[in-house]
Amino acid sequence: MVIERTLILGLFLVGSFAVVVHKNLFKKIFGLNLLNSAVVLLFILEGSRIGNQAPILGTSITHIVDPIPQALMLTAIVIGVCTTALSLALTVKLYKTTHSLHIDTIKERIANES
Amino acid sequence: MKRVRILKIVAILLVLLFCMAPLVLSDLTWPTQARDYFFDHAEEETGALNTVSAIYLGYRAMDTLGETLVLLIALAGTMAILRHIEEEKSLSLSPEKRASHKMRTNLLEVVSGKLGPIILLFGLYVMLYGHISPGGGFQGGVILASAIVFLALGSSEQTKLTNAKVLSRLESTSFLILILASSSGLLSGTGLLSNPGPASAPVHFIILLNIVIGLKVGTSIAVMCIAMMGGSHGH
Repeated sequence: MVIERTLILGLFLVGSFAVVVHKNLFKKIFGLNLLNSAVVLLFILEGSRIGNQAPILGTSITHIVDPIPQALMLTAIVIGVCTTALSLALTVKLYKTTHSLHIDTIKERIANES
Repeated sequence: MKRVRILKIVAILLVLLFCMAPLVLSDLTWPTQARDYFFDHAEEETGALNTVSAIYLGYRAMDTLGETLVLLIALAGTMAILRHIEEEKSLSLSPEKRASHKMRTNLLEVVSGKLGPIILLFGLYVMLYGHISPGGGFQGGVILASAIVFLALGSSEQTKLTNAKVLSRLESTSFLILILASSSGLLSGTGLLSNPGPASAPVHFIILLNIVIGLKVGTSIAVMCIAMMGGSHGH
């Protein structure tokens, strides 16, 4: 259990590194998606500890995993998709206005324009 | 300068403390009351064998309603921002702009145009069987959206299924049907977002909600993808 949690923590740190350090806008959006995936995996991992069968009832199913984190993560994934779509649309619009994807260049070009 | 150094050291210490979390979290036990309740009662109260579907369509349907609303708002925002974008790349949807790019081959049309209907069928299967096997409205809807994107990339003529206007009207209609189905419980006395029919067969309500949510999610994500590929104007 500790190994899985450490790997998910590594994914989370890679995502936050991409959001904080990289200066290209698309890499920041990739980092946001990695952060989302890390949190979703952590919830599903924690919910799977109390059983060993998928939560679909049937004739020989006795020990299902917790279905509540999985239902919560469905919502989380859809909202991650919505966030990614809006941020990509904003990136396209920023590129059409300033012709650059580097955030320092965008900042000074917007400051020069206004 | 000294304040910045102190803030950097505090930030590094906080990150290191955060990295200790996997060792600390392993001692706490996960409670089992919720899982036992769903194991005993989910099938007779909602009619669905898939307990995850029973949760997000039966017990917590309010979250699903809010989530479809978030999708609607994201779609409106994306379409408003991308309305006037001119797309000159080779992935553009109108065939006369596509053929002039020198690195474009016929591979995309052959593969994705032929795979599109198969994935459409698979998406419909996942959407309709969501109450007894893994799947449901959201999963089937996303597969439907990818099938519509395949059809848009692969076909040389414009069909109604890949027309952004038709898809957005379909999406608004399915959202309206979702709201009407959710509030039909008010008219029959069982309550908001509850099964309006007889209590002996609540599975029909779950199937209806799955179909409507699948259509809404599928067409909404397909409209966003088609708008980003530049196909939202011109036809």
